[in-house]
Amino acid sequence: MNRRIFLGQSAALLGASAGMNKLALASSKTKAKVVVVGAGYGGATTAKYIRMLSNNGIEVTLVEPNSDFISCPLSNLVIGGSQQISALTTPYDGLSDKYGVNMVKDRVTKIDAQKKTVTTGNGSTLAYDKLVLAPGIDMNFDAIEGLAEASRDGNALQAWKAGPETVALHQQLADMPDGGVFAIAIPLAPYRCPPGPYERACQVAHYMKQNKPKSKVIVLDANPDVASKGKLFKAAWNDIYPGMVDYRPSHRVIGVDGKNKTIRFEFEDELKADVMNILPPMHAGNLVKEAGLANMNDRWAEVSFLNFASTQAKDVHIVGDSIQTAPRMPKSGHMANQQAKVTAAAIVAEINDFPVNPNPVVTNTCYSFVDTNMVVHVASVHQYDSEKATFLAVKGAGGLSPEANQLESVYAWGWAKNIWSDTVA
Amino acid sequence: MTKVQNRKIETRIRYSVIGVLMGFGLLGHAKVNAETIDAQRVYNLALANTCASCHGTNGVSVPGAGVPVINDLTAEQIAESMRGYKDGGREGTIMHQLAKGYTDEQIEIIAQVLGKK
Repeated sequence: MNRRIFLGQSAALLGASAGMNKLALASSKTKAKVVVVGAGYGGATTAKYIRMLSNNGIEVTLVEPNSDFISCPLSNLVIGGSQQISALTTPYDGLSDKYGVNMVKDRVTKIDAQKKTVTTGNGSTLAYDKLVLAPGIDMNFDAIEGLAEASRDGNALQAWKAGPETVALHQQLADMPDGGVFAIAIPLAPYRCPPGPYERACQVAHYMKQNKPKSKVIVLDANPDVASKGKLFKAAWNDIYPGMVDYRPSHRVIGVDGKNKTIRFEFEDELKADVMNILPPMHAGNLVKEAGLANMNDRWAEVSFLNFASTQAKDVHIVGDSIQTAPRMPKSGHMANQQAKVTAAAIVAEINDFPVNPNPVVTNTCYSFVDTNMVVHVASVHQYDSEKATFLAVKGAGGLSPEANQLESVYAWGWAKNIWSDTVA
Repeated sequence: MTKVQNRKIETRIRYSVIGVLMGFGLLGHAKVNAETIDAQRVYNLALANTCASCHGTNGVSVPGAGVPVINDLTAEQIAESMRGYKDGGREGTIMHQLAKGYTDEQIEIIAQVLGKK
C-alpha cells in the first residue's frame, strides 16, 4: 500500500466532510499497516492502543512466538514459592477478540527497512508502513566465562524472562539442602528491572525462612550499592531475614563453573554456591541488535522520545527495554507500557498526517514484595523537555514508600491485574 | 452535574489545550480545524492513558482488582482529588507522589477524559 496515496485520499475526503472523524473515514479505505514485534508490556500495549486511538482505522499485526503473556513483575513470588506461574499468565485472546489485532504466532527473523517488510520464522513476509520493535532484552553470556554452557545445562539459570526458567529456578531452591547457598549475581546497571534482583533476594530468603532456615542467600552485586530502593531492601534484609541475606557490593562475576558450582570474581576469592542465579550484562533484544539498530555503544537503541522512532531506520519505532532510556528512566514493564502509549499516539498521528504530541508524559510505578504481604514502591513522572529533546523526571514528584507496608501489597496486586488487562486484555 | 456546567468545563478544557498548543507554536492562529480536533483528541487520550497502567484502560479497573476505582468519579471529583494530592491536602501511598508530576492543565484534561460522562 502506498501511504502517500492513502493520506491524499483521506485528506480529500476530510475536506469534503469537515468535522467528521478522519480516522473513521480512513477505515473505509485501504488501511495503513503496522507490524509490532514482541508482545510483552511494550509491544502488546502498542498494538492495542494503535487500534484504540485510530478507531480501528489502522491494521495491526503482532508477531509473538508465545501463546500467553507471562508477567516478569511478580515472578519473584514464583521463585519464592508463594505463587504459581499460572497466576501471572494471561492469554493473548483479548487483543484479537476485543481489539482486532492480528496475532501471528511466530518470530521475526529478518527486517528489510528499505522494502519495509519483515520475514517470519515460517518464511512469510509481512509488509508495513510502520514497524514497532519490542523484543525486550537479551543476555551477553560472553561477558562471563562458562556462563553460556552453565546456563544451557541448567547449572546457572537467569530466570529474567518469566516462564519455564522461573519455575525451574524455584525447583532448584526447593531441591537445595538446608544450610545451602543461593547466589544471585547482578550486573552493572543498566539492566532490566533495577529492583528485581533485590526483591528476588527477599523472596528466596522468605522461602528459606519457612523451609530451610540454615540456608543463606548471597547477593553478588557488580554495582557499588543496591541500585534501587536500597534503604528499603536493606531494612527488609535486617528486620525480616536477619543473618540470611549476605549482600556483597562491587562484586563483579567474571566466570562460573557449572559442574563444580563455583563463581569467580574480578578481585575476590571464588565462591561455591548450591544454586547459581547469574545475571550477566544485558543488551537490546537480539532482533534490534542484529538489525543494526542498537546504535548506542552497540548495546541499546537510540530513539527520538517524541515518537520512539529509531534514529537509525525510517518508520521503525522501538519501545521498552531495548532502548537507550532517558535520564532516570528505568527499564521496567510499567515504563514499557507507558512508552507504548506515546508510541501508539505518535504512530496514529504520523499515519494521519498531523503533528505528534509535542508534550508527552510517562510515569513509572514499581512495587516490590519484601515478603508475601509487605511491599515497597518507587514511582516517578517524566515530562518531555523540548529543549533537551528527552524525558526528564519531574523534580519533587515521585519517590519511595516510607517503609514496607501491607496496604501496598493490595495495590501491587491491583496494579498487576490492571496493567495486565491494560496490556493484553 | 448539569449539562451547562459540563459544557463550561469542556469549553475551558478546549481553550486551555489550544493555549498549550499555541504555546508550542503548533497553531499559528486560533482557528481550530478538523485536523487539530483529531490531534487534540489523541493528545488528550495519550495523557489520560498514563493513568491506565494502574487504574485500567480508560480508567475502568478489573473488577475487584484492589486499586482505588476512579471510573465512578466525575471529572470535577477526579480533578479535585488530583489537586488535593498535588497540593498536599490529601494523603496517599503513591498518588501524592505521582500527582506532583502533572501540571494543573494536564490534571484538568485527564479529569475531563476519564470523568464519568
